[in-house]
Amino acid sequence: MDPSFIIAQLISGLTMATLLFLVASGLTLIFGVGNVFNFAHGSFYMLGAYLAYQTVSSWHTNFWVATFAAALGAGILGMMAEFLFLRRIYGRSEEGGFQILLTYSFILVIDDLVKLVWGTEYKSLLRPAGFSGSVHVGGLTIPTYNLAIIAIGLIVVVLAWLILSRTRPGRIARATAIDREMMNAMGVNVPFTMTLVFGIATALGGFAGALAAPLRSVTPGAGIEVIIDSLIVVVIGGMGNFWGAWLGALILGEVNAFAVALVPEWASVFSYLVMVLTLIFKPEGLFAARGVRKV
Amino acid sequence: MLRHKYVVVILVVLLALFQVPFSLGADEKIIKIGAIYPMTGRPGLYGLDSVDAAEMAMEEINSKGGVAGYKLELLNTDSKLKPDYSVRVAKRYIDEDKVHFLFGVVSSGVGLAVTEVSKQNKKIFIGTDHASTRLTVDALQPYYFRVSNNTFQSMAAGALYLKELKQTKPWETLAYIGPDYAYGHDQWDELKYNLDRFGVKYKVVGEYWPKLSAPDYTPFITSIMNDKPDILVSGFWGGDTVAFIKQAQPYGLFEKTLYFHPDAGGNYELMSATGSELPLGLVLGARHHLNWPETELNRTYVDKFYKRTGRYPSYAAEGAYAGIYAIAQAVEKVGNPNDTEALVKALEGMKIKLPEDPEGFTSYIDPATHQIVQVQAIGETIANDKFPPAKRMLGNWKVYKAEDLLPPKEYIEMKRKK
Repeated sequence: MDPSFIIAQLISGLTMATLLFLVASGLTLIFGVGNVFNFAHGSFYMLGAYLAYQTVSSWHTNFWVATFAAALGAGILGMMAEFLFLRRIYGRSEEGGFQILLTYSFILVIDDLVKLVWGTEYKSLLRPAGFSGSVHVGGLTIPTYNLAIIAIGLIVVVLAWLILSRTRPGRIARATAIDREMMNAMGVNVPFTMTLVFGIATALGGFAGALAAPLRSVTPGAGIEVIIDSLIVVVIGGMGNFWGAWLGALILGEVNAFAVALVPEWASVFSYLVMVLTLIFKPEGLFAARGVRKV
Repeated sequence: MLRHKYVVVILVVLLALFQVPFSLGADEKIIKIGAIYPMTGRPGLYGLDSVDAAEMAMEEINSKGGVAGYKLELLNTDSKLKPDYSVRVAKRYIDEDKVHFLFGVVSSGVGLAVTEVSKQNKKIFIGTDHASTRLTVDALQPYYFRVSNNTFQSMAAGALYLKELKQTKPWETLAYIGPDYAYGHDQWDELKYNLDRFGVKYKVVGEYWPKLSAPDYTPFITSIMNDKPDILVSGFWGGDTVAFIKQAQPYGLFEKTLYFHPDAGGNYELMSATGSELPLGLVLGARHHLNWPETELNRTYVDKFYKRTGRYPSYAAEGAYAGIYAIAQAVEKVGNPNDTEALVKALEGMKIKLPEDPEGFTSYIDPATHQIVQVQAIGETIANDKFPPAKRMLGNWKVYKAEDLLPPKEYIEMKRKK
């Protein structure tokens, strides 16, 4: 294998990894901090893509404005979903099962709503101005938009880590995950915190969907396509850990990139293999941080 | 108490609404068609287009008084793209709804499951969209008929295209990318079989099998670029084609390699989703084109569908449209929709004029394989904004005669022996 091809695959893996991470980041946040398994996270990703599409086509805004509008919209819808539905099942003994049923039903409902509003035709967004081309280094071609996504992924991981570990709201959120009742007793508005965390997580999902829209086809059902891989990332990285999710995505992206190049016939097996190995040898995830999750 | 009253009122209204079709149907003779199409996810577009086109065809026929004194009626249930679920739907259609025909199906996986139900219950199954050759070769049964081309036919056309291309633009190496299931694998095997059959020399430098509906193709793209094939053969369909092309375009893949996608690449959804981003000079085929052939029938069909739905039809729509006309023609000939064996005889060898038939050709159903035989057109992407939001359409057509695309006898025998 010549070195420039190795670098090309490395960067491909990194691009794939970053998009995976951006989707998984909201999932890991809500899992780790809110203690909710949101099966419908992919649907908020899909909503983000549609909202960005709608913002651009209705108001002809700049792509980046649309991306933030999409994140905001997905966040608000996420908070509504939490406030109206999820909140009602917290603390029940069957909560785990109910969460899965409820969030799974969100997938079906959101898919049908999207179909009602936008139809089944594939929608698509152009790459933002200034990011439609590519840069050439040596013999390599790297699309500038892919580089932008890699950079945004890094910013998100650092920002999220800073907020969660260095600020008071971050600490409250983490403490709520460990013991909701104790935080309630200490005067923290736990229901509000949960709604907010859910909103931030779904906003991250919507943000990822909007960023991915210029690279993918925006269709109903797009949410299901990303949820499995995101779940693998969260499992590998350790639930609730942003660095973990980022590194988990990186491992998955690179394993995939080199599997495709070396053993294309078996490429799709490897992501599952990584997950299985993680579950066998380090079931809490490779980067599960001390003290973030309850025991 | 007041609330209960509302509930009762709503129930009564709902019951009344559902009552209407039954009371209408009581003294009318009906041909019942049980359709199974996906209504969700990426393939939902294919399902919706199929149902809309089938209804359009039925209205055309019913408004002229129906056939042999019967009116056509379509039931549709979401296949959820799941074979086991679709089998239950098909059985329910037969046992409870007493349908005369099973109809539809986008995925070949679902098609292979439903054709078994059709065989066991001796109920005719009209296949409108799924393309795996297996249904009309290895898994053929007496009650199955397909009214759109299969992958063998499009790959035979593809092989002929590549053979001619050698003369104008000499090429040597091929790479393939397609979804990792029957449809993707069949296309590649059939293309290679046909290239060998036509004596075309080629070298394979890469084969790639992403999962169906994979969101990200970046590592595949850089790996293909490293293989430097003269031609990249693609076996994607639907949103996968869109995502792959969008991701590969900034890498400059299409400047270095000819993108060749003869079965489903030329479907209109690609043009509408990618607009001006769609590179020029890609070589694509499809089972129906909006702008070819330029016959009165095709123009009317496309315009009518557009007026009805506000969108242009994908090829799935034309398959369903053809299916309804095939049923109508068979019932017309037999005089009733109940005599299954006579209907099978009527369908075998049936000639049927369709929007995709060029001047001087009429589609027909091959009695030996129950497969419709149609002309295949392959074109290049060129600038054309007559079908918005598309900014590119196909042009510079190469047209392949239907008879040249049929699987040879020894191929059918080899497959059936397996």
